[in-house]
Amino acid sequence: MSSVTIDDLSLQHVKLPPPLAALREAYFQAVPEVCPERAALITKFSLEAGLFQRDRIAVLEKARLYRRVLENRLPVVWHTRAHRRTPEGMEEFAFEDTSPFAGSTTTRFKGVPLYPEFLALGLWPELWTISRRKANPYYLSEADARTLNFEVFPHWMEHNITELARARGTDQDRERLRLLQKLLFFVASKPNCISHTIPDFSRAVREGLRAVIEDAQARKDLAGDAARKDFYQGLVEVLEGLIAYARSLAAAAASRAAREADPARKAALEEIARIYLRLPEQPAETFREGLTTIWLCWIAVHLENPDVGLSLGRLDQVLYDLYRRDVEAGRLSVEAAVELLGYLWLKIGDHVPSVPNAGEQLFGGTGSNQAITIGGVDGEGRDAVNDLTYIMLRATELMLLRDPNLNARYHPEVHSDAYLRRLCQANLNTGATPALHNDRAVIRALAASGHTLAQARDYGLIGCVEPGSNGRFYGHSGAILVNLPAALELALFNGRHRRFGRDALISFETGDPASLASFAQFKEAVRRQALWVLGEAIALNDWFGRIHQQFYPTPILSALFEGPMEKGQDVIEGGACLNASGIAVIGLADVADSLTAIETLVYQEGRIEFAGFLDALRHNYEGYEWLLTRLRDPQRTPRFGNDHPQADANAVWLIRMLDEAVKGRLNYRGGRYRVGYWTMTNHAGFGRLMGATPNGRKAGENFSSGLTPCSGVTPFLIPALRSVAKLPPEAITNGMALNLKFTPEEGDRDRMLESFAAAVKGYFEAADGQSAGGMEIQFNVTSHRRFLAALEAPSQFEQLLVRVSGYTAYFKDLNPQMQQEIIERTEYRLSTGEAVSYEPVPLAKGASHG
Amino acid sequence: MASAFTRSTLGVASRVLPNRAQGWLVRSLCQPLISQLCGQLTDQFLGMLLGGMELAFALSRDYRRNIQGFRATFVYTTRDGSVARSAVFDNGKMRVHRGTLPSWQVRITFRDAPALKAFLLSDEPDSLDSILADTVETEGNLNYVYRIGFLARDLARRLGVL
Repeated sequence: MSSVTIDDLSLQHVKLPPPLAALREAYFQAVPEVCPERAALITKFSLEAGLFQRDRIAVLEKARLYRRVLENRLPVVWHTRAHRRTPEGMEEFAFEDTSPFAGSTTTRFKGVPLYPEFLALGLWPELWTISRRKANPYYLSEADARTLNFEVFPHWMEHNITELARARGTDQDRERLRLLQKLLFFVASKPNCISHTIPDFSRAVREGLRAVIEDAQARKDLAGDAARKDFYQGLVEVLEGLIAYARSLAAAAASRAAREADPARKAALEEIARIYLRLPEQPAETFREGLTTIWLCWIAVHLENPDVGLSLGRLDQVLYDLYRRDVEAGRLSVEAAVELLGYLWLKIGDHVPSVPNAGEQLFGGTGSNQAITIGGVDGEGRDAVNDLTYIMLRATELMLLRDPNLNARYHPEVHSDAYLRRLCQANLNTGATPALHNDRAVIRALAASGHTLAQARDYGLIGCVEPGSNGRFYGHSGAILVNLPAALELALFNGRHRRFGRDALISFETGDPASLASFAQFKEAVRRQALWVLGEAIALNDWFGRIHQQFYPTPILSALFEGPMEKGQDVIEGGACLNASGIAVIGLADVADSLTAIETLVYQEGRIEFAGFLDALRHNYEGYEWLLTRLRDPQRTPRFGNDHPQADANAVWLIRMLDEAVKGRLNYRGGRYRVGYWTMTNHAGFGRLMGATPNGRKAGENFSSGLTPCSGVTPFLIPALRSVAKLPPEAITNGMALNLKFTPEEGDRDRMLESFAAAVKGYFEAADGQSAGGMEIQFNVTSHRRFLAALEAPSQFEQLLVRVSGYTAYFKDLNPQMQQEIIERTEYRLSTGEAVSYEPVPLAKGASHG
Repeated sequence: MASAFTRSTLGVASRVLPNRAQGWLVRSLCQPLISQLCGQLTDQFLGMLLGGMELAFALSRDYRRNIQGFRATFVYTTRDGSVARSAVFDNGKMRVHRGTLPSWQVRITFRDAPALKAFLLSDEPDSLDSILADTVETEGNLNYVYRIGFLARDLARRLGVL
């Protein structure tokens, strides 16, 4: 049987069955509800076990804690109620759940799980008002607010990761923490999570958890030291806990079935009870069972690890054998497979990360960024696209959800044009998904960062766009977000930042740029300041990492990973096959263009003295309108994204410089640091904090997203793609995002699709000596008019999906800066390849620039 | 800054009055604070806010439950030092002192009364804006800042102004 047997790759005939469509509708109506269950159980059992008194929490103690939580969770088979917004406030509504997948990450239909071990206490001031805040409110009942206020939060005041670290750090560590809290230089995310990884589901699906337990017990018996014995026993504890949770769901389903009068619903409940009694303990025997095992493991992973960037990997590969067996046996149709995946997609989106009001301004609108990867090549480099690849695409089109975040792999030398066309068609249909990744470039990048060729070929995408080998790579890809324009700022102002005044030396002096004789000397100053920012961020990351090792062992993730079983070591201690820490750099194009502007105007043409340029920046270009006009004209001042050698060379220089700066550094787990270029919403957040930059960007304006050229200065699509395709993948090992916006063209849709696929193919195939073609590309295909309408009447565009810079989001959930950034991105008409210009869009009311 | 006599009187009221009456009394005694929260803020705002909290903790059993077992010292000061108060929580009791105490868990330095109100009591709390606008600076454990933020807002809710 061929891997692709579907005749019509679009699967247009497959529609959502009415019960699933109704459940999806309820999902969109439901506001997220804060769920205190996890936080309350973790707190209660931590108190009972005396864990708040420990100087270190051992993996076995943590495992026993999670087992108790799993055994004591409320088994929710089907949800019946949720809350929705009305002009008068929140109101409860009822709906009929029909999901074949029982259990949920919280007790709510769409819940906000709380992790007091990390940053959940940030919600404390909002307990009485969070249900009515303007930006992305959560429903929180008064009783639950009281539970959090009295029974949960007070116990964690000295015990979340940040405070544990502060209490145990040196003065230098605390100084770095203060630098982090200035929010201007970098964000270190370990106070919030590590997460950002892809567990290995294949063994749980293929062999069942009982086999894994028996393996752990056998290894425990053979282990020579107590630490390893405890580690293996920890794996046994958490997996027994997960099996117990599944059994409690089975019992709840059976009990509910006994009371159910409707024969169809009764049968559905009995089937859930039958399956959950056997899974995930035993091997999955059908496609549905495979999905069930993954879902149950996914719940457990989220019990332990915050819902930030945990990703599901190559599900079309993991599940294909079960799918094929079912189809061959006549047990499963394509339609039924799409339906099952639709239900699973809803389950995957059943939780939303907790974001306090202030965080909404930096990360507003983000989901949990649970990436799923489809397509690509297999371990030998052969085409791995199969029927499930297309079925998952169709399920994604029909469900149109923010989570999961679908990513498709394409190899220019392996895959068919028909496959690429289908991926582009899905983007036209959804307006925003899937993101497309070039296997040739990504595999080269991973091979350059320590993956074997086979491991690299088996990559999946993590969180937004970060690649890592499926189920064996513990890479905390979002460990550090670096504001690169802040390093430029330090170079421009001799180690100082305008926000803190001339007297406050932040880093060290690299000289007044006006006194530097050459552009090379200025670049060297930028390099040294960038190294300082990176060095501080890395030191902080390693410090937090060691605190995680002392207080946050992760036996559940370790049980579902390749490496820990063999090494007898938790993933947090370096147990995974592959280890790394990831850095995402924000503002690359702005800094590259700033360098080019200085090189051109100051050093090549002598059009303005450096001191004059600095004065223009201090005055936000007021009185320097001629300079602003000159900088914003790509015909007169080279800009990255126009296939201009000088501008592109500065971008390449920055990328290689940053890679060289970190790739020799080993993290606290012995893994390498990797640099990538995806920005989520931080290019808007950091942009808000920063003054004018030499590329003509005024104070408070957004930086460019990911590796996308700056908006408004790249009038033609093809040169923009060529510039990005030149960038060296081996120096972009933590992934990248190129965000493009296309005008939906009415009428000849086939022609638009042809142009779309041709543009992507050209970008991916644009290989030369140093490049392997563009690495990644993602799209928004929504008209300008529609965006403006969504600004005016958000409630009428609840389901308008957009690509931010990495993940997908609902446009209405984004903060005003981010909405503006997406609307003002350069938009191309595919038929001509030319940018379309629109009037600038004012920020929505209430938004402010810093 | 309540006197020993006031605290003692409120303590008696706290034991004998039903919750509803305690709530009414808190609202009555906090009228100056309510006026500040609903109208023009003055330099007296910090003193009134902390004084109102101290009074409410002394009088209201329900509000006092928020600080059972809580021990911490907060220091508040304007950048120029013209306004300075310290609030000490000690297992169900709160005392406000003029000036700054030398030992604290959290120090909050603010530009002026509107900045402090925006930081602690805004309907849309925007600590990021406060930090970015450089109107409020905090030192120490942020969880204490979150908790005092809740306590201030809980009082405002009881006063009917949140």
